[in-house]
Amino acid sequence: MNSKLLSILIVTAFLLFACGTRQTTAIPSPIETEMPVETEAVAEVQPEADECVACHTDQQRLIDTAKPEEAAESESKGVG
Amino acid sequence: MAPLEPWEKVIVDLDAFSQTTHGKQSCTDCHGGVQSPEKDAAHEGLIASPSSMPEKYCAECHQEQVATYPTALHSTQQGYWTAINARSVPENHPALEGMFNNHCATCHTTCGECHVSQPKNVGGGLFTGHVFEKTPPMTRSCTACHGSRVGNEFLGKNEGFPGDVHFREGRMNCVKCHDGADLHGSTSDAMSADANRYVGMEEPKCVDCHPTAAPGGDSNPMHQSHGNLLSCQVCHSITYTSCDGCHVAISEKSGKPFFETQATYSTFLIGRNPIQTEERPYLYVPVRHVPVDPDSYKYYGDNLLPNFNALPTWVYATPHNIQKNTPQNASCAVCHGSDGTIFLTADKVKAEELEANQSVIVNTLPPALESIASAPAMPASHLEHVSNSCTACHATGIRNAPVFPENHAAYQDVNCSGCHKLQQ
Repeated sequence: MNSKLLSILIVTAFLLFACGTRQTTAIPSPIETEMPVETEAVAEVQPEADECVACHTDQQRLIDTAKPEEAAESESKGVG
Repeated sequence: MAPLEPWEKVIVDLDAFSQTTHGKQSCTDCHGGVQSPEKDAAHEGLIASPSSMPEKYCAECHQEQVATYPTALHSTQQGYWTAINARSVPENHPALEGMFNNHCATCHTTCGECHVSQPKNVGGGLFTGHVFEKTPPMTRSCTACHGSRVGNEFLGKNEGFPGDVHFREGRMNCVKCHDGADLHGSTSDAMSADANRYVGMEEPKCVDCHPTAAPGGDSNPMHQSHGNLLSCQVCHSITYTSCDGCHVAISEKSGKPFFETQATYSTFLIGRNPIQTEERPYLYVPVRHVPVDPDSYKYYGDNLLPNFNALPTWVYATPHNIQKNTPQNASCAVCHGSDGTIFLTADKVKAEELEANQSVIVNTLPPALESIASAPAMPASHLEHVSNSCTACHATGIRNAPVFPENHAAYQDVNCSGCHKLQQ
């Protein structure tokens, strides 16, 4: 009789444990909700633009490579 | 506006630009070129101004603006041609088109020249590291081109004269009144030969923001007595700039186009409205001398403006230096019973321009207040008259009507009720 009662207690405990485990895994983890943000950030990277951006954000490089501009002395006189 | 260094014109603020919608695209999407660390190779096939092809580069997102902009005056420059066509004849057009392309066409404006960079006409250069500005920065965009008259007046740069109250007190910029819908054109805009900025609806209109100033709107006797006889600027603008004798040519030394203006001076003159319409019913408006001259385009051929007298040289003006209190609205006597100082009378017009300005010259000065007060009232029965022409009877004495005195000869029908109020 005691062994039968013990068996029932073990089975009940197992079932309760099993149910509890399932409930825990069903809650979405915070890590999973952040995933789409990481994906979007990756999509914005434009490796193709690197050379343009590299030069056009570098003041010294723009100064060094600028085509000399002729001092445009206007021959116009008076108010335009 | 100080010119930008070459590097300043093209430097990109990546932090700011990449946060914007336009910054999400790669550079080559709009500007072409190729990926290379070498400048010349990278600029192979470069499109410096993508918005000069708005259908290709702007229309996907800005369909409405791209559809209407070809009709806008900033795009067509039709205002120039309206004046040139009126003063010339078709056989002179080839020569005038050459002149126009050399001296006037640089004022054509692309989308980018208002929204991302300074206009090419003033040297170009990105506004703020390639960030597109929904509202063009006023002094680097609008008044960079419209500077010598409108810009100087509005910003108070004419020595001795305050800037426009809308700028001084309201800190308003150009687009507060000239909104995008006006500047981008509309599908209803006429591409007609007579288009210019004063054709069609009066936009912007002062009474849109100041509705009580409209006839019947407030208790200000000046607003009520003058109604639509005067444009708002007649009483509320101050001295502005006029110019004479602009001549254009190509320099023998540099091969570049240049101009020379003979004179620039400050004026405030009230003239008759030469473009009176239902939308602009005013009898009197401020008039500004435009720098056209019969020989303005002589470099391109003789007598290219044979119909020079078809348009006045003193033109309808809307000075951008509005003030609540002005010298002319300080007292009724400035206009009524005055010596005509502030009116464009014939003696103020050059002899060779008298014929051109017949529609603007003020021949009869406003009567003195005493004359108005003592003028006989118009009988109440006149309300029922079929004819609205006073002179039909009062010039001839028909039906025993009293003939108006000789000094009334210059008045027109429309003036009569100004003095002869309807009997109650």
